[in-house]
Amino acid sequence: MAILPMKRIHIYALLKDRKPILEALQQFGSVQVNNLQADEFFIKNDISEDLTNAEHNMAMVDEALTILETYAPEDKSLLDSLKGRQELSLKAYEDMESKRSEFQQMAERIRFLDRRIAECTAEMHKLQVQIDALTPWSKLDIPLQFQGTRSSSAFIGTLPGEVSLDGLLVKLAHLIPEVEATHVDIISKTKEQTCIFALCHRKDAVAVEGALRALGFARPPVSASNLPPARQIAESEEKYKVLAQESEEAKSEIIGFAGERESLKLLFDWLTMKIERLETAGFLLESNRILMISGYIPEREIEKVVPALKSRFIVHLEIEDPDDDEEVPILLENNKFVEPVEGVLASFSYPGKGEIDPSAIMSIFYYILFGLMLSDAAYGLIMAIGCGLCLWKFPNMEKGMRKTLRMFFFCGLSTTFWGALFGSWFGDVVSVVSTTFFNKPISVEPLWFEPMKDPMRMLVFSMVVGIIHLFAGLAANIVQNVKAKQYKDAFYDAVLWYLLVGGLIVFALSSRKFVEILNLNFIVPASIGRIASIVAAVAAAGIVLTAGRESRNWFKRIAKGLYGLYNVSGYLSDILSYSRLLALGLATGVIATVINQMGAMGGNNIAGIILFIVVFLVGHAINLGINLLGAYVHTNRLSFVEFFGKFYEGGGSEFTPLGVHTKYYKLKEETNHG
Amino acid sequence: MDNLGMFFALSGAVLAALMAGIGSAIAVGMAGEAAAGVVTDDPSKFGKVLILQLLPGTQGIYGLLIAFLTLTQIGVLGGTSDISLVKGLLYFVSCMPMAIVGLWSALRQARASIASIALVAKRPDQAGKAIIFPAMVETYAILALLISILAVTGIGGLNI
Repeated sequence: MAILPMKRIHIYALLKDRKPILEALQQFGSVQVNNLQADEFFIKNDISEDLTNAEHNMAMVDEALTILETYAPEDKSLLDSLKGRQELSLKAYEDMESKRSEFQQMAERIRFLDRRIAECTAEMHKLQVQIDALTPWSKLDIPLQFQGTRSSSAFIGTLPGEVSLDGLLVKLAHLIPEVEATHVDIISKTKEQTCIFALCHRKDAVAVEGALRALGFARPPVSASNLPPARQIAESEEKYKVLAQESEEAKSEIIGFAGERESLKLLFDWLTMKIERLETAGFLLESNRILMISGYIPEREIEKVVPALKSRFIVHLEIEDPDDDEEVPILLENNKFVEPVEGVLASFSYPGKGEIDPSAIMSIFYYILFGLMLSDAAYGLIMAIGCGLCLWKFPNMEKGMRKTLRMFFFCGLSTTFWGALFGSWFGDVVSVVSTTFFNKPISVEPLWFEPMKDPMRMLVFSMVVGIIHLFAGLAANIVQNVKAKQYKDAFYDAVLWYLLVGGLIVFALSSRKFVEILNLNFIVPASIGRIASIVAAVAAAGIVLTAGRESRNWFKRIAKGLYGLYNVSGYLSDILSYSRLLALGLATGVIATVINQMGAMGGNNIAGIILFIVVFLVGHAINLGINLLGAYVHTNRLSFVEFFGKFYEGGGSEFTPLGVHTKYYKLKEETNHG
Repeated sequence: MDNLGMFFALSGAVLAALMAGIGSAIAVGMAGEAAAGVVTDDPSKFGKVLILQLLPGTQGIYGLLIAFLTLTQIGVLGGTSDISLVKGLLYFVSCMPMAIVGLWSALRQARASIASIALVAKRPDQAGKAIIFPAMVETYAILALLISILAVTGIGGLNI
């Protein structure tokens, strides 16, 4: 349970065994290799070039897989992520060694084809623009650059707007009455422009051009070819077809590779493993013949790893205890009830030097607090059944996913429990439905009490839960100090605070006014209250004397002690902070009630029933989502700030062994700590 | 002028929903802009930044909660609606903590959220801690909610 004990391991081996030893360690997945410092005898192997190559290859395979996904998408459903990775034998990985250049070429080919398709598409786009520009001229059977013959001048170009032949001739006659003969052809016309061909005697060229310009004449953009437009169009279309064909062929060639997707994935995984080994190889020291590996290994893995290494290689192994002040990497192990919150703990921090694994005590309160905040039995059942079904249906699920689902499964159970106690099933849906549609009010009685009707009672209960939570944190503080044999610290930092806060609470409970505010139906006898007040005063004096005990100077010490006592206000705000249990619990219930009332507004008829069903489904889905988020965030907060504040700082680093961290396939007999 | 009490009570309820709602809308919008920026760079962070974006959205819900609670108490949603002027004013002030703190804390929480989104963008492994910073601000919205709830539910029993 809890933090697994770690040992230091040193492996001395022959240099020629470097690769197989690293492969073996990777498959065990239970040694974290340390980065050693080179000295005058041992040097480090320069792996940067191999590493760059492998990373380049991996990027290419990754790109090829993305390209394949674009042209031949894989059938994927949401549930696939629950199924977990497929298992593959070690042999398939070993076979990769011989086949990888073939697959690597395939990845390169896929990437090449994809680039080619992009080039073709760009070229085709350009051709299309050309064709579009030439289409209005397609009826012209001479080149666009045609300027005229020896005795004639030709004008080929556009006029703005739609112009008729007669209209144009009339305008020209008006502008240049002196010109006798001008021949004009309308090639094509649209609303935007009219394409014309005009021919005149060479001597009139200047006059005609001037007249045409006055009408807005513009020559078409210069084209490289001096073929007639129709021929140019035909040529471009031909090119376009060839390119389209090529791009189609490239596409179908890529799609043809879809069957090899699995091989590429395998290659990707193989490269991932290789890169991890290479990175580790950079941590090792070597002389001409000898290889030196140093790292951490969990104690219980030793009996598995050591004999296996000894039987396969010529090695010398040394196992030793880490030094007392050494920062050892942390590997947690807990049972199935506690394990799910390890993820939440990791998102805060792993236990630092001398700290206990708080997962066990944290998990119990985590589930309870979460349930209190969501506090709707139906929502809880949905969570528990949903997560339970997924866990049951997909036994091969990834470990991290399974932990998360299991956490929400337990949170769901707790939510159901508290929801039933507080009588909330989708808010008040039973009474709303029975009143609206059956005219017979039925209400689900809470097993305990309804927070909506008696918020003061719920507030007191929330704070009681808070006090228990905080005291559990103090208890953990004692355990931690006792384990480190710091009995004095345990007494000063935890027991005194127990006495002070506990004494103050009991004293408060003996005051009539306080009891009346909280609406309690009992009162602590005055005599006990007096004893409690004395206990609290003694504890307070103790705290003033000891909180600054690291200072030698008595004046400083007392000043620090007084500041330490000021922390009692911290306890007050910590306890008040648990009022969020009431607020968030009510939020779920009240919003659920609003949804039910909105749904029931349609009354008892067909339309009303349909309205109710729609509002019910959408509304409760949203409410569940929002409050799930709220409950998660604030449970984390109460755990991190109020609870951990009493004993836990974290700061440890995670145990990250050399192992198999593949993306697509799972190696059989893989022992994964991830 | 007999129903002036009702007018004040309803104004309080509406203001709670209105101000807290406006605060959350602006806040979620601001955080959303930051979150979208992060997702352009790395779509895999969507889940993490979405949570951070949603955090300042709760004030609006609390405002709705207080508004609804008040509406049921004063009988707008069925029941008797006989509210004296004094009680009406009491309901009005009871709604104010949620309305004002809701608006302000949502805006402040948005800034903490945006900072946390930037944190997650650079160090996605610290998402757990990043959530705590905006959640700290929310504490005060929750405290305001608490006082508003206690006050609104308590007024009905007063003998004035």
